[in-house]
Amino acid sequence: MASNSPNPAPIVAPGAAAVMPSAAGADQSANESMGQRRRLGKVITYVLLTLFGIGFAFPLFWTLSSSLQTWQELRSYTPHFWPAEPQWANYAQVFSLVPFGRWLLNSLTIVFINIPGTIFTATMTAYAFARFNFVGKNIWFMLLLSTMMIPAIVTFIPQYLLFFNLKLVDTYVPLTIGSWLGGGAFMIFLLRQFIMSIPRDLDEAALIDGAGPFRVLWQVIVPLMKPALSTVAILQFLGDWNDFFGPFIYLNTMVKYTAAVGLRTFQAMPLEVTDPRDHLLMAGAAIMTIPVLIVFAAAQRYFVSGVVMSGLKL
Amino acid sequence: MTRDSYRMTTMPIPTTPRRMSPAKRRENLYGYLFMLPWLLGFLGLFVGPGLYSLYLSFTKYDVLSKPEFIGLKNYVDMFTKDDLFWPSLLRTAYYAGVSVPLSVLGSMFLAILLNTKLRGITIYRTLFFMPSLVPLVASVVLFKVLLNSDFGLVNQGLRGLGVENPPGWFADSNWAVPSLIMMRLWGSLGGTQMIIFLAGLQGIPTEMYDAAAIDGASSWQKTRYVTIPLLTPTIFFNTVLGVIGALQTFAAAFIATEGGPGFATWFFALHIWKQAFDYFNMGYAAALAWFFAILIVVLTLIQMRLSRRLVFYYGE
Repeated sequence: MASNSPNPAPIVAPGAAAVMPSAAGADQSANESMGQRRRLGKVITYVLLTLFGIGFAFPLFWTLSSSLQTWQELRSYTPHFWPAEPQWANYAQVFSLVPFGRWLLNSLTIVFINIPGTIFTATMTAYAFARFNFVGKNIWFMLLLSTMMIPAIVTFIPQYLLFFNLKLVDTYVPLTIGSWLGGGAFMIFLLRQFIMSIPRDLDEAALIDGAGPFRVLWQVIVPLMKPALSTVAILQFLGDWNDFFGPFIYLNTMVKYTAAVGLRTFQAMPLEVTDPRDHLLMAGAAIMTIPVLIVFAAAQRYFVSGVVMSGLKL
Repeated sequence: MTRDSYRMTTMPIPTTPRRMSPAKRRENLYGYLFMLPWLLGFLGLFVGPGLYSLYLSFTKYDVLSKPEFIGLKNYVDMFTKDDLFWPSLLRTAYYAGVSVPLSVLGSMFLAILLNTKLRGITIYRTLFFMPSLVPLVASVVLFKVLLNSDFGLVNQGLRGLGVENPPGWFADSNWAVPSLIMMRLWGSLGGTQMIIFLAGLQGIPTEMYDAAAIDGASSWQKTRYVTIPLLTPTIFFNTVLGVIGALQTFAAAFIATEGGPGFATWFFALHIWKQAFDYFNMGYAAALAWFFAILIVVLTLIQMRLSRRLVFYYGE
């Protein structure tokens, strides 16, 4: 155990860890005289973990299960945990009742406009704050951070009026312009933290070799920023995919809706049109969630590292 | 926040900017050039609109006719004439007061559970994290079905357990806010906060636990006297962010219940929203929004002040 190890462990401020915790528990590592008590502790931990795990997983399971039931099953007084016959047709029905395919495509369009925007402009800004010493830098940086504290609703109203007067309502411009203008304080802050952890020698060596600052950034620094940029891309995806109020207020035409607004519209449609549609709404919820889960499965570690990188240098 | 690392890279600003060296001038040029996109966005989408909304807050403006200057009337009216002002503020305080402690303590508890060397722990971590990936609209759909007063699984379960009149959840004005809290806890306990706590736990030096073990501390004592004090900066961080988030909450309330039933989920931010986009009282909504912004900033500063007494920074 660590008590006898000769290497002096560096003293780290709490919360300063910049890597994903690998679940290497510290509190279990100290020698405990009574192995039995330890085993008991393990059992209790497992029991608690499992109970909570079921609690967290069940609603997800229920989304799937209920999306495959008939509405009669879902609305009966004896609960069906799993449909007698999975109704895969429910999913097809969602796409035929409302333009859900189009809505998903719209959401994706916004995501794919915004990801390069944020990657490009937030990286530039982050690099400016991390590397150049320009007049007024500290003030600008304070202003940047302060934008995170002001509630979105304060600027939302005048922004709406601005886009309204520019005749840009019912276009994707209000939903995408921000990502091409810095991508938001949080992203810039996160990337700045990351750039500051890259040794300056790299920039300087490239500068001595005659590269200009743009080339230094895009050819030397950016290739090293892949983890941070992946995190930014994922956060942008999540933000756009989940955003409700932006598309809700700016988009008026139904075919232009995003999946989030579309699902809500589907939920709020008057009932007399069809039978109870809880099962179809659940199918819609599942369809909306699946892309997020796929991205998560493919890039799990970036979800976590982003949170840790940004939060933590308190 | 990162003060030390920041200081290291900041050279003293020259006192005679006119006789700037060419290198210095180039650095200034590049600095502003690189942050230009953000600067444009900051001025055009934040400062400009912010100032415009400050101006609007002193006017009566319904979008159709020109803003009419009315001085402080909006600010006076909100305290004296608006029947929904105080109730929505109190409701927001109730939501934040219940949900923030539950979510901070809950995610800390989960993180402590997960911070153990057990087989299969990553599976649990993934399991806890997954609900936070569910889009808000999808989780509203899900919870409205789960908590349906007649056919919802929760009430069927409660009836099965012998509860004769289970709550109406979203349909019941006393239970609507707790329903929202439950929904948000499910979607947030295992998410960002928990991961920040895990990072905080990883940052606790092992020697501390070794020292505690030598002194004969039990697992509980180690948690109580080592883990929790050393986690206070993380607790503080999550609390501040949690309060800011909870005060601004209204998306869930808007999607699930539109503020109802009977104004039960009419939170302050929703009140601003309704004033602006349903009643087109843009001037009044701007005044409410500014009041709200100041309130949040003040609350955050108070928390920071309090933290000086309550937060323990290891190594200081």
